[in-house]
Amino acid sequence: MVKFASIALAVLVAGVSGLAVAQDKPVLTIYTYDGFASEWGPGVPLKEGFEATCECTVNFVGADSSISTLRKVQLEGASTEADILLGLDTAIAGEARATGLFADHGLDLPGLTLPEAWSDAQFVPFDYSHFAFMHDSDTMPVPPKNFEELIALPDSVKIAIQDPRSATPGLGLLLWVKAAYGDRAPEIWAGLKPKILTITREWSESYALFLDGEADMVLSYTTSPAYHIFDEDDHSIKAALFEEGHFPQIEVAGILKSSDQQELAAQFLAYLASAEGQKVIPTTNWMFPVVDLGDDLDPSFKDLPQPAKTLTLDEADIIENMSAWIDEMLAAVQ
Amino acid sequence: MLTLPHRPARIASATLLALAIAALIALVFWAILDAATDAGGSSRVDIPHLLRMTAIQAGLTMVLSLLVGMALAWALNRLRFFGRDLVVGLFAAAIVTPGMVVAFGLLSIWGRNGWINQVSQTLFGVTIDSPAFGLQGILLAHVILDGAFAARILLARLDAIPTSRLKVGQSLALSAWQRFRLIDWPAMRGSLPGLGAIIFLLAFTSFPIVLLLGGGPANQTLEVAIYSAVRLDFDLTGAVRLALTQIGVCAVVILIASAFTPPPAALGRSVAPTWRDGMTAQALAWLILVLSILGFALPLVSVLVDGIAGGFARVLSQASFWQATLTSLAIGSASAFLTLILALMLALGRAATGNPVLRIGLGIPAFAYLAVPAVVLSLGFFLLVRTLGVPIGAAAPLVVVIANALLALPFAVATLGPPLDAIARSRGKLLRSLGISGWAQFVRVEYPLVGRDIGLMLALSFCFSLGDLGVIALFGTQDFQTLPLLMYRALGSYRSNDAAAIAALLLILTIIVFVGLPKLVERLSHAPRG
Repeated sequence: MVKFASIALAVLVAGVSGLAVAQDKPVLTIYTYDGFASEWGPGVPLKEGFEATCECTVNFVGADSSISTLRKVQLEGASTEADILLGLDTAIAGEARATGLFADHGLDLPGLTLPEAWSDAQFVPFDYSHFAFMHDSDTMPVPPKNFEELIALPDSVKIAIQDPRSATPGLGLLLWVKAAYGDRAPEIWAGLKPKILTITREWSESYALFLDGEADMVLSYTTSPAYHIFDEDDHSIKAALFEEGHFPQIEVAGILKSSDQQELAAQFLAYLASAEGQKVIPTTNWMFPVVDLGDDLDPSFKDLPQPAKTLTLDEADIIENMSAWIDEMLAAVQ
Repeated sequence: MLTLPHRPARIASATLLALAIAALIALVFWAILDAATDAGGSSRVDIPHLLRMTAIQAGLTMVLSLLVGMALAWALNRLRFFGRDLVVGLFAAAIVTPGMVVAFGLLSIWGRNGWINQVSQTLFGVTIDSPAFGLQGILLAHVILDGAFAARILLARLDAIPTSRLKVGQSLALSAWQRFRLIDWPAMRGSLPGLGAIIFLLAFTSFPIVLLLGGGPANQTLEVAIYSAVRLDFDLTGAVRLALTQIGVCAVVILIASAFTPPPAALGRSVAPTWRDGMTAQALAWLILVLSILGFALPLVSVLVDGIAGGFARVLSQASFWQATLTSLAIGSASAFLTLILALMLALGRAATGNPVLRIGLGIPAFAYLAVPAVVLSLGFFLLVRTLGVPIGAAAPLVVVIANALLALPFAVATLGPPLDAIARSRGKLLRSLGISGWAQFVRVEYPLVGRDIGLMLALSFCFSLGDLGVIALFGTQDFQTLPLLMYRALGSYRSNDAAAIAALLLILTIIVFVGLPKLVERLSHAPRG
């Protein structure tokens, strides 16, 4: 039986490694999060689009989250196969920059339509959205207009959020509350506590609670309704806009210093941020493009209400205080 | 004085295997500490508080699961009805189904918007507060997972009570209570310490369910803190420290469980019972069964219903689904056979020695995977593979098979250990006097007697591999995708209907294996040999 098992393994290993590609072309290896590289994500069309012109092979390697891709590169150090790290967001970009692993992209990026001006020597943005609470307009026709209205709702109204230690949106909400309320953040968290149905590990779990009707609101993105409009023609799921303003998630990609494909990598980033590359992002990653796509933007995105105000936090501030803010939040909702 | 057959080779190979597993775990920690660059951040975790909360939760889970498991095993052993095999398979399927699927199944029944509330609202216009969140929610989900599993293992022990023993009992006109106390209890007792330890450790290290149903940071486990130390804080030294704390606590539980020597129990093949209990006992058995079906099977049935509603067609037409299914089946088969070999080595070696210290030593490694946090194991394997210079893509399937085998090992040893022990103890003298070889002992005595258990064990470890995605996180490549991974990816891409359909298909596959495999292996083990 040992023999059987080892044969089975050998077949398996051969099968998996047999998918190796023709080696005469240069290979561009991109570490990203699962959702981006999955068959439904933007990875597939971007690979196709770039390979059509680059005389190269694009190889997406997925990890369970964008934080994991950063940790993986940190562990692999200079010997990493990755040329590009794709999918970090504004909350951890500062920490990533501080590792010193990223090279300057050297790209001039005119025509970006981000909620904030962009001048970043290392990171190129490729999509964005704002964190927001979703509600079902059939069961909750009038959503709260700010955090204090949300807190004032009866305790039978439940929200599902994510753990800031394991999920990007969870971290986003933490920064949102901090950016909007500063030192009053613990007070807001304590006010939210009776509304919190549960704090899940991943975004997908709390979103499922919301879709199942277990929670009235869920922390997600202002662009989430687009999926339901596009795929299910369901217009009832909406993002509640808050008067305090919203914290954005801007997803970025960066080139690793250790890469021996600097030029090719920069070409990919330029393609990623171009109108042609951006065309595939909205209906695969369900985020806004970073350039104006005009009529190429899917109608499901066109009427999405956008927050009037975008909140920001200083990158150095985030790096220095993140742990303390997480402790503060956990203590307040304990 | 206990007489055991003289089997030095069995003891030696079990000892070697135990040492190898210990060495692997040590290597994992070494690799992580080696990669830790800084001296480690300040640990912000209130360890005593976490330990206290987790111990209470895990202790309650263990006691409730064992009680429920014994009651259900007793009821199933007594009752014969149409669809019994399916019900047994469904109960057993709970533990190997991804925890998230069971948790959402639970919510479809007991949640605010669940079946029970919908019925109560339609009939009485009343909405019941959902019991599915908070400590009771965690306990409910854990008991569904672990209680049904305990029932399945204990049922195998009850079904193995020899007919001769039952005939004697029947002729003595034992009451239902006396029958339970004198015949059933001794048969089940040997499995309780191992089962209890497994359930305690599962609950102690449970992670997604605790976060999903716990309602917030008040209900947490150390595993969450370790996860956060590895990923968010990147404090590897801190993660190792927390992991060692967890291992320390788990070791105490494991030691207590391993120290028990199971009482000798006779083994045999069971046939349909001709001995019926009195009316009261029969009514009680039916009551337990109906309640269990309502409590345990309904959440799983709701998973099937949601999957059918989600639509199988879209999923079945995807090439990635079939590729993931093939990968899952290959991984499942490979890890099931590896688990069988490892479990037999450990259990046979353990049964062959009467030395209490050695017995404990050989009992511990089976639990390694339960005590070591998945995120630590994943990280350690990843670093080890890199140190060895193996391409990550090529190593991923091997690592997943090894990890899955280690994951299933405690269940496998808990299934095979007690009956093998019982054989060595009750027939040791006879085997010794026959002077047959170890191989002959296995083929002619042990294999025919534990065939049913081997089938159950293969089904368990096969399905565990189907349902697990713990260690693959850092290894992920697009070409290597298992069914649960596909399910999570669908869920992460808003495709909740696809995810529901995959969950249902996974569950159907699991039930088929659980109903079919033990029967198949039992038939093989009783096939006439020339």
